[in-house]
Amino acid sequence: MSTALMLLTALALFIYTRSLLDNELEEELYSKVAFIEESLNRGNSLSSVEPIIHITRVTEIYPDVLKDTLIYDPRQDEVEMFKELTSVVKTSSGLYEIKTRTLVIESEDIFTAIIVSFLSILAIAFIILFFINKSRNEKMWAPFFTNLNRLKNFSLESRGQLHLESSDIEEFEELNRELQSLTEKLYIDYNNLKQFTEDVSHETQTPLAIIQAKIENIINQNNISNKQYEELTSIQNDIQRLTQLNKCLILLAKIDNDQFSNKEKVDLKKLLENRIEDFSEITNVKFNLLASKNAIIDIDPYLAEVLCNNLLSNALKYGDTSKPIEVIVDHRHLIVKNYGGAKIKDETKIFNRFYKEGASKKSTGLGLSIVNKVCTYYKFKPSYEYIDEQHIFTINFI
Amino acid sequence: MKILIAEDEIALQRSIAVYLERDGNICEVASDYIEALEKVSIYDYDILLLDINLATGSGLDILRTLKKEKKTTGVIIISANNSLDDKLEGLDLGADDYITKPFHLAELNSRIKAVLRRGKFGGEETITFNEIKIDTRSRTAYVDDKAITLTRKEYDLLLFFISNQGRVLSKEIIAEHLWGDHSDLMDNFDFIYVHINNLRKKLKNEGAKYIKTAYGSGYKFIAD
Repeated sequence: MSTALMLLTALALFIYTRSLLDNELEEELYSKVAFIEESLNRGNSLSSVEPIIHITRVTEIYPDVLKDTLIYDPRQDEVEMFKELTSVVKTSSGLYEIKTRTLVIESEDIFTAIIVSFLSILAIAFIILFFINKSRNEKMWAPFFTNLNRLKNFSLESRGQLHLESSDIEEFEELNRELQSLTEKLYIDYNNLKQFTEDVSHETQTPLAIIQAKIENIINQNNISNKQYEELTSIQNDIQRLTQLNKCLILLAKIDNDQFSNKEKVDLKKLLENRIEDFSEITNVKFNLLASKNAIIDIDPYLAEVLCNNLLSNALKYGDTSKPIEVIVDHRHLIVKNYGGAKIKDETKIFNRFYKEGASKKSTGLGLSIVNKVCTYYKFKPSYEYIDEQHIFTINFI
Repeated sequence: MKILIAEDEIALQRSIAVYLERDGNICEVASDYIEALEKVSIYDYDILLLDINLATGSGLDILRTLKKEKKTTGVIIISANNSLDDKLEGLDLGADDYITKPFHLAELNSRIKAVLRRGKFGGEETITFNEIKIDTRSRTAYVDDKAITLTRKEYDLLLFFISNQGRVLSKEIIAEHLWGDHSDLMDNFDFIYVHINNLRKKLKNEGAKYIKTAYGSGYKFIAD
């Protein structure tokens, strides 16, 4: 559109310039004739200057003739366009025909000049506008991009409020307001959900205790059959599972709620040795512990225990009981390796809540997600690998 | 023994009472804060089972009152909240033990017995069951006044059996008593069988055999 307009403008300018030049040339030719006539009247004898002025005596008067003519210019070695005015004047010394010519500026030249100037103006305008716009836009969008970055880094779990940069632009301000209220709503929902999980977990403890107690009384008060006893103990085992699940959910909620702010230097070597000793009372699986003396990290002692317990029990639950579990620890990392089973199919999900591959009845599906939660809380990096038929869980402390 | 059960869940209150009354204990119940406060102020109990979250007030306040009045009642806190802070606060205020819901009545019973033994009044440091005598201070067991060597787990097991004599104890309850939360990691119950069989052998050598099998897979400690 703007290009068409520009072309039109250029064309109009071209036509206008040409007619202006034409008029100017005619005027020039007429004034030359007038000067020559005046000079001849004063009695001066004038000779012709070819090809611009040509004076000859004539015998009759005829009207002025204005025309274009082509004349060879030997100096430039080309044919040039001239405008020619032939006029007959009557002087004191008789009739003279005066032919004056002037070089016409070629249309092409005018056109080129116009185009070139147009283009250069355009280019300059474009460049200037570009830089002006760029700096203006940068200034205008700066709050937007700052906010975008803050949004990217925003996490409900980090409990940080979302502070958005204010801007003069109404639309951005509106966007900010909406985002602000959206995140606040999300935050409230998230907290409610967390509270809900915790409350449900707590509230189910009492009914579970009632069921548990009643079953125990039934077993002890009545004469029941062996079959009935089996059924009742099986219910007790399920209550046990629910209890474990509740405990895990409450623990996750507590870590979320920042209730483990107590940081101490914990000796992982000692902790793991104790834990492995405990486990040796209830399992035949061998543990090979390779611990360096400086395996001391800053962590809440309870969470350190949770971390080690969950990693070891994960290896125990899913590992091949005939092969040893290898535990390596120093101040940089804790590695637990166990044999058994194929590679985890979806490695990215292994630290997710309730992610289970294979059906181990005993599992709550929360052990590793608790490990992950503890890691997130302390900015440790958990990872899973499968090398030489071994499942390798690594926690990087640094 | 006189026991007050301060618990606002009537069903749980009843079940606990039923279990404990079988041992000849006298159980009274309080279903809310006011009733519990009233009863502990007027009467003397050997044991108070105290729910922290009573419907109309905090069990911890009852504990404070009890301690202010310098009563010698043994206190076991029952809580739905397995939080270390709550536990420490309760124990700091002078509670003798802390048990989290849900619990096995057998476990509660053995904790009650342990608190009674430790209690300054009415507690005995020796438990006698026919020819078996247990000195809980030195953690030694005697059969016919002859000391028998028990491992730590065997000793705990014997004490648990005697505390819950006449009751059926499932493998799971025993496992949980001996190993707590880790018990769910057990791949099988061989470890319990080993401990129980060793204990049986040691008792049998001295002429005592009270650990009976019940319902095929449970156990019951009972005089013939």
